[in-house]
Parts: sequence; C-alpha cells; structure tokens
Amino acid sequence: MRPGNRDNREESVAVIGMNDAPTRPASIQAQTTAAQRRASEPAQPPCVLLVDDIPANLRVLYESLNGRDYRLLVANGGAQALEIAQRSRPDLMLLDIMMPDMDGFEVCRRLKQDAGTADVAVIFLSALDEAADKIHGLELGAVDYVTKPFHPEEVAARVEAHCKILRLERELGQRNRQLELVRDRILHSMVEAVVGLDAVGRVSFVNPAAERLFGLAAEHLLTRDLSDWEPTALRETAQRVLAERRELSLDEVALPRPDGSTLPVELRAAPIADAADTAGVVLVLRDLSERRRVEAKLHRTSDELHRSHRELQAAQMQLVQAAKLESVGRLAAGVAHEVKNPLAIVQLGLDYLEQVASFDDVSAQVLADMQQALSRADTVVRGLLDFSRERDLDLKPCAVNEAIQNSLQLVRHELTQRNIAVRTSLAEAVPERPFDIDKLQQVFLNLFMNAMHAMERDGTLSIRSSFTALAGNELGPHARDAGFLPSDRVIRVAIEDTGPGIDPEDLGRLFDPYFTTKRQGEGTGLGLSVTRNIVTLHGGSIDLENRPEGGARALLLFHPEFARAEALSRPSEATLRARTARLRSANR
Amino acid sequence: MSKKRILLVDDEPALTRMLRLNLEQTGRFEVREENRGTNALRAAREFQPDLIFLDVMMPDIGGDEVAEQLKQDPALSKIKYAFLTAIVTKRETGTGAAEISGETFLAKPVKRDELLAVVDELLDE
Repeated sequence: MRPGNRDNREESVAVIGMNDAPTRPASIQAQTTAAQRRASEPAQPPCVLLVDDIPANLRVLYESLNGRDYRLLVANGGAQALEIAQRSRPDLMLLDIMMPDMDGFEVCRRLKQDAGTADVAVIFLSALDEAADKIHGLELGAVDYVTKPFHPEEVAARVEAHCKILRLERELGQRNRQLELVRDRILHSMVEAVVGLDAVGRVSFVNPAAERLFGLAAEHLLTRDLSDWEPTALRETAQRVLAERRELSLDEVALPRPDGSTLPVELRAAPIADAADTAGVVLVLRDLSERRRVEAKLHRTSDELHRSHRELQAAQMQLVQAAKLESVGRLAAGVAHEVKNPLAIVQLGLDYLEQVASFDDVSAQVLADMQQALSRADTVVRGLLDFSRERDLDLKPCAVNEAIQNSLQLVRHELTQRNIAVRTSLAEAVPERPFDIDKLQQVFLNLFMNAMHAMERDGTLSIRSSFTALAGNELGPHARDAGFLPSDRVIRVAIEDTGPGIDPEDLGRLFDPYFTTKRQGEGTGLGLSVTRNIVTLHGGSIDLENRPEGGARALLLFHPEFARAEALSRPSEATLRARTARLRSANR
Repeated sequence: MSKKRILLVDDEPALTRMLRLNLEQTGRFEVREENRGTNALRAAREFQPDLIFLDVMMPDIGGDEVAEQLKQDPALSKIKYAFLTAIVTKRETGTGAAEISGETFLAKPVKRDELLAVVDELLDE
C-alpha cells in the first residue's frame, strides 16, 4: 500500500498514444472480444495497459515502451486497471502485484472471469521473486513474469515477444474462423446431405440439405444418436465405419421420412480420423429420387424409340411387300394383256368354224373341248388382271394432310437424328375424297425416306399441300398421261428436299421397276414404281424434278372427286387412262 | 335394205380377220379392216362406216386418241364407235358392252354371239 501516491493515481489515468479508443455500442462489445475487434482492424498497434500504484514505476515502464509502435494506457491501481481494461480492451497488461486497493492476482482473476477481458494477456511485475508466486500468477492465466527491478530492455523485449505471440494467435484464430466460414459455406451449399457423428455416434453437425432430406430441423437431428437411425443398413454402416475406420458406401437405401414416405438415397460414410483415434463418421447422403425419375423417363423414351423404330421397320416391310406385289402384278398385267389378243383370235376362229363347217360327233367334241379350254384360259387371265388391279384399294373419304402427318410421324425420329428440319404447310382447305389411306401413307413414307436418304444429314424437308388451280408449267409427263389439264382444280402436294437433286440422266428412269440409285441394301428399287402405281390407282399423278435452287421436288396431283363405285365394277376414266399409261410405259 | 358398214381398227391382223369373217358370215354387214391406228381416220372417211370397233392399245396411236379425232371431225362425229380392248375385263363390263365414263367398252376376248348382239344393239339405236 502506498497511500502517498494516491493523488498522482488520478492524474496518471490517461490515454497515451493514439486518440481515445472508439466507444463501441455495448451490444457489439458484449458479442465481440478485443481480439476479434483487433483482428478485424489490422494495422492498429497493440494496446498495452501499464498498471502500477507507484508513479515512478509507471514512468519507467512508460519510457521503456514509448516510441515503439504501441498504444499505451496507464492505471495506478487494480480497480482502475479493471475499469480501463473493460472499456479499452488492451491486448496486453503489465500488472503490478503488490497494490494497495486490489492486488495483481485479484485483478488477473477478475479479468479472466469476465468474458470481455479474458483474452487480455497479463505479464506480472513484482519484486517478488518467489517461484510460488510465479506459479500462482501463471496458474491465474498470466503469460509471463517480470521481476523488479526491471531493465527497460527486458520489459520491451518481453512485451515485444508477447505482442508477437498475440498477433500470431490472432492471425491463427482469424484463419481458423475463415476456414470455418468456408467449411460452413461449403456444407451449406452442398446438394448432398452431410451428417457428422462423433465417436459414440451422436450427431455433431448437419447441413441444410440433411434437414431437407430427413425432413427434420437441425435441432431435432442434433439430438439423435446412432441407435435412432433408420434404416438398419444406415446404422450398421456408420458403426462399421467407426469400428473399421474405412470408407463404406451403399448404392441405395430407402430412407424413411416423418410423413411415412421413403426416399431412395445413396450413402457414403467415411471416418473422420484424428491423428490417433477415430473422432467420428461423416455421412454423405444423396437423394436419388430425381435420378430415378430421369432414369424412368429415359427408359420410357427409349421404349418409345424402340416402338417407333419397330413401326418404321414394319412400314418398310409393308413397302417391300407392296413392292413385291406390285412387281408381280405388273408382270401379270402385262402377260394377261398380251395373252388376251391371241385368246380373242382363237375364240372368234372357233366360233367362225362352228358356223361355217359341219362336224361329226368326234370333231364336235373336239370343238367343245377347245371352247372349254379357252374359257378356262380366259378365267385364269382375268384372275391375274383382277389381282393386279385396284380391287385392293380400301377407299374411305380422307384428306391427304392426314396421311402426310401419319407418315411424317414414322420418320420424325430419324429426321431429327439426321438433323433434317421439317417444314409443313398443309392447307386446311384441301377437301376430303376417297383414298386408301394406308396405301397413301406408303406413298408419303416412301417419298420422305427418299428425300431423307438423298440429304443424308442436315437439310430441310418441306411438305406443302393445297387445293388449287393447276398451273400449266406444273404439268409433268405423268400428270399429262393421267389426263390433268391446266387450270384443273386439283389437290396438290409438293415434297421438296435440299439434297443433291436427281441426275438428269436418271430422271426418265426413276419410276422404272428395279431402277435404284441407292446403295445396295438401302432400297429395292421398287419404291418409286410402287409409289406411282398407288398414285395412279387413285387417279392421281406423281412427277419428280430438280428444283432450280437445288434439291429435288416430288409433285403429286389428285382430282378432288374419285368415284369408288365405278372403280369397283366399272373403272373410272382416270383408271383407264392410268392403265393405258402403264401398259404403254411397259411396252416402251 | 343395204348392208351396214363396220370398220375394225386393231393392230392385230389375225383378230380383225376373225372379226370380219364372223360378221360377214351373217351376210348382213360389209366390213373393212384397218391395222394401223394412224390410218383409222382416213379409212373412216373413205369407208363411211355405221360402226367402228377400236382397239385401245396400239403401237402408233391409241384408240382413245382416234376416238377423240373422230369426235372433232364434223364429217365423222356422227359415227358410232366402241372400244374392243383388253384394258377392261369381263368382270367390269359384264356380258356384252358396257358404258364406262361415257364410252362403250367390249372386253377381249369376245365370243361371236356376244359380238353380234352388241353390234345389233349399237346399230339399232
């Protein structure tokens, strides 16, 4: 106790060095320690509070440190030291032990009790050189001890050393907090649910994804321990990881949720290993339901693809079948026609002979047999012709647009794969008329596939239908043969591609049976011949030409009326024209 | 009563001959054969037939075209004609001649009785 110095004590309460410490709002002070504040304000010099009840000592201390990069505060007693410490949060305190109002040990004890000042580093100053005192001081949380009488250099060196330690500690702390922030941010933004378990299986941390996955708030999850975990597989995996200290995973677990549903979840569990022992397990759970949905969708899409592929194959088979029938029918029609004239000659010859000559019974029988044979031959020939003719058309009123769209559906996938764009302009005004829609679809399918094979990859397939007056320059050879005239009202379908077009040498032969420009295996060569035949049977025409801007164009024309009744029992004018056109082209 | 005149146009000479023989055999018809479609019009002008049988499929000019030319020619447009052809079948025509799209068709092969019945029918009108 040094009562003689009391007067000076008040005076020496001064802030020396920089300006007054900024006064922070109490709420923030209560939440932040001096170290945190300082850490967030780099470049501020360390603040050192010098505490001694003897002014002379204070002066020596002050002078030892003055001129160095410190902010210096002084207090002349324990109570004042605590007050300044609470207000100004010094980094370091040089604390005299023997003081009259409150000794240094008590000051230190109170400092350490108060969270706001607990991290102030204390260096005791005392004449006491007893080991017990030093130990007592260090036990109270002091960092060092300087014995009086002190050498200014020693004081400066120790303060310097401790400030350096403090700075490093603070930097370390700051780095740690940054790392924690980064870790929290990573955990927070992870799509996967992360659950940390400690060594005995208690939940130690969870991220928001885990709350969503389990359907439970963090505070509920954090009260759980391993025995609560469902399903069993999850629990057992975590236990095995703890016991075996190696990573384990489960491809799929059904995770029960509070609402009674289950989620398919993929689990990876890894040990959190401390240097020596296993400190816990981290569980990473991934919700598989979205992936399962996508997989299911992919399966469906793939099924659809397979189905449309099968449909296309079936349609192609039909085309091939139709092509075969067509070729047989064409042959039959040609043969039948050629045979009819000789039959007619023999028939009339026999009839004539029967009129002009008289026969005995045997000769009469010969004539009768010949007549019968003739009649049989005629029946066979008629059968061949009927087979090859329009008897097979299943006519119902429909619009070409419907057939176009149906056929397009069959090739749409392949068009997409080949990056071929489709432009359709199908006029609603196109009237219905009797068509065999299946056969008509074969026509369009055939033409679309030809266009697709011509373009191979990339390009545009455009399809336009209209009901319009026929322009004279649109009358191709087949259209003329089929009896179309300029300004006829016609159903017109134009199919255009952006391929290489048709070799002019081939233009005249395109519709010949077995003529093909495709690679072996890609076409039978009967496609266009069948196509024209079907169109012809419908009283229509089809002509192919090269477009001036490149690519090929197929132009189909149909009359808006088509008499089915006639087609069955009496052929229509168009049918007759078509027949003669066909026979003529066969004779050419 | 004078004999009715019938012109037969078909590229098959044996057929026109058989037709002619059967028709002439009745003693009621005068018949001329023409085996080239391109000569059909000239033959019609010279012969002035009451009836013409036309084949459709002929190598030089089709019977349908011959019929068109007949109709266009004022001197010949009154002459009756029928197509005797293999492009229609008996299933389509039935027995005898049939009206198809405004034209008369007779399917090959034709029997004598059938032929005579059709001729009578056509000349009767």
